Amino acid sequence: MKHLTHILILLPLILGAGCGDSDTASSSEAWVWDLPDTVPEPRVPEDNPMTAPKVELGRFLFYDKKLSGNQTQSCGTCHLQELAFTDGLAQAEGSTGQIHPRSSMSIANAGYAASLTWANEAMVMLERQALVPIFGEDPVELGMANMEDELLRRMRDDERYPEMFAAAFPDQADPINLDSITKAIAAFQRQVTSFKSPVDRWQQRDLTALNESEQRGMALFFGGTNAAGVEDAFECFHCHGGFLFSQSSDDAGQVFNQKFFMNNGLYNLDEDGSYPPGNEGMYEMTGDPLDKGRFKPPSLRNIAVTAPYMHDGSIATLEEVLDHYARGGRLIESGPNAGDGRNNPNKSALLNGFEMTEQEKQDLIAFLRALTDDELLNNPAYSDPFAE
Amino acid sequence: MNKTTILVATLALVSFGCGDSGGTGGTGGTGGEGSAVAVTIQFAAKVGMADFECGETYDNLGANSTSLQLDDFRFYVQDVELKNAEGDYVPVELDTDDNRWQVENVALLDFEDCSELGDPEMNGVVTGTVPEGTYDGLRFAMGVPVDLNHDNPSVAPPPLNVGTMHWDWQGGYKFLRIDSGNIMVNMSNWRMHLGSTDCDGDPLAGGTTMCTNSNRVEVDFNTFDPESDTVLADFAAMVEGAALDVNQDGTPFGCMAGPSDGDCAPLFDNLGLPFDGSEPEVQQFFSVE
Repeated sequence: MKHLTHILILLPLILGAGCGDSDTASSSEAWVWDLPDTVPEPRVPEDNPMTAPKVELGRFLFYDKKLSGNQTQSCGTCHLQELAFTDGLAQAEGSTGQIHPRSSMSIANAGYAASLTWANEAMVMLERQALVPIFGEDPVELGMANMEDELLRRMRDDERYPEMFAAAFPDQADPINLDSITKAIAAFQRQVTSFKSPVDRWQQRDLTALNESEQRGMALFFGGTNAAGVEDAFECFHCHGGFLFSQSSDDAGQVFNQKFFMNNGLYNLDEDGSYPPGNEGMYEMTGDPLDKGRFKPPSLRNIAVTAPYMHDGSIATLEEVLDHYARGGRLIESGPNAGDGRNNPNKSALLNGFEMTEQEKQDLIAFLRALTDDELLNNPAYSDPFAE
Repeated sequence: MNKTTILVATLALVSFGCGDSGGTGGTGGTGGEGSAVAVTIQFAAKVGMADFECGETYDNLGANSTSLQLDDFRFYVQDVELKNAEGDYVPVELDTDDNRWQVENVALLDFEDCSELGDPEMNGVVTGTVPEGTYDGLRFAMGVPVDLNHDNPSVAPPPLNVGTMHWDWQGGYKFLRIDSGNIMVNMSNWRMHLGSTDCDGDPLAGGTTMCTNSNRVEVDFNTFDPESDTVLADFAAMVEGAALDVNQDGTPFGCMAGPSDGDCAPLFDNLGLPFDGSEPEVQQFFSVE
């Protein structure tokens, strides 16, 4: 009998743990993606199906400062909708004031990322990635390390959350738990998609969507011949092609692992091609000198509103980014980071520099600006529910 | 009566549906084949000759006789086995009834009760059963078994749901965590976090699939009497020869097992782990008393 009691107690625990609940039995309506037919659906983990109540819960959690230790920051602090979910800073600042070595990445279309963050092969699920900013200790972002119970208490004591969690996780007897928090945030992020830029409209056969300069820039971007007569002079799309404008993409129908990481010649501190200490890309994970300076080529969608650029925010404008690629690497003449990135031994073979007229530069920038999706920046469904 | 049966059957279905690898929370009742006897393996945390006490400051550490105030000392052990009279190693079936310090073949040893990132509870033993017999040797690894290391920590059973022992950016656990000072106030305090590194994940399958550097510390004591001996984990032995007051630029103060953090080299050496192509020697962090 004692044994039986144990089993009966275990039952709700197992259900509560949420493993394998497919939500098929839930009454919520099937999720419908708001996507153009030029774009595949994102991959959705079997144990975290999309539902409207879950996405709405995720939106509140994403913007709630209760998710930081000292309640000063939310996910949304570093991911502002009006900046395509970046923060405009070169390097992010955490809730305790610690400066992150990296620049905040956009969460738009993060559900399609083959790997998340700037340089981490192991980070492939939004549900797991959410733990890093919440609990990470080095650097401190939201600063909730060892405060799981406090986090759950804040959720339970909230006016809204008990009901919202119950609606989002109807199969769970006790839905306020860490797993459901990360699942809800991931579900919210997964539906923050951005495919309504002028370039998307053009690709859907709206020939009024792009002006002539933008069209010329698009041709150059996708392998056109430049004024100097070089075919595919700019080689942009090799890394930044595909529906994401990053080839490092994944989707529900993808059967290949498309992660990749490139060194784009930003630094070259020594004969190994070192990058500034503490911000060396894949090398930090692998210790392989050949991985120094290798980062994920990010999506170029909404790139005009996500300055400054690069993993460390070290290039301020799109013009300077193009100058950097035209040179085939960045020269830093003096100071601790002095070195010619053009000669970085790990640099991608695609980055050999190119000639670019002022007109070509303006056309390329016009095209990049046409990758901005105004609906993303203004969609109330993605907005801060705590805003006045 | 009928209802009871149904509930039990439901449990079985739910359990299978979870796809767990079996054995979670199992009663370990192998029963039948000879009688199992209880065994307790004692562990102790030391700093040189002194017992580790959370919050104490210890002197003369490492190559430069550095003083450190230590306030965290926790590690996982896996695959604990005792050597029987025939010289064969026999797995200790871990007690998992208390659903706390041990699950499957992994246990958490916890010697801190003062860290802001810990809790007051401590554990210095691995308990379980072995077939009746005499045992005179011990082996285990400091680590979390690979098949448990990369599961979702948010739904993992104790002791794999201790958030501060999870290493989110590497997708696995900190096998060892030793912190000095109060990290919430001053981030520059010396810390040692050890886990598997250079891990990869498959976006199609989700989660982590493999790590190049396992970083599990293999420990093998040819002579160990479970009745009277204790396994010592000695911080001073781990940092022997390491310049604790020197830090490689751009790396965390201490060692977070980054393959490019040269501060880790002497510590890995003392742990018997390869670092940057080195040939590991026998670990000296653990000893028998």
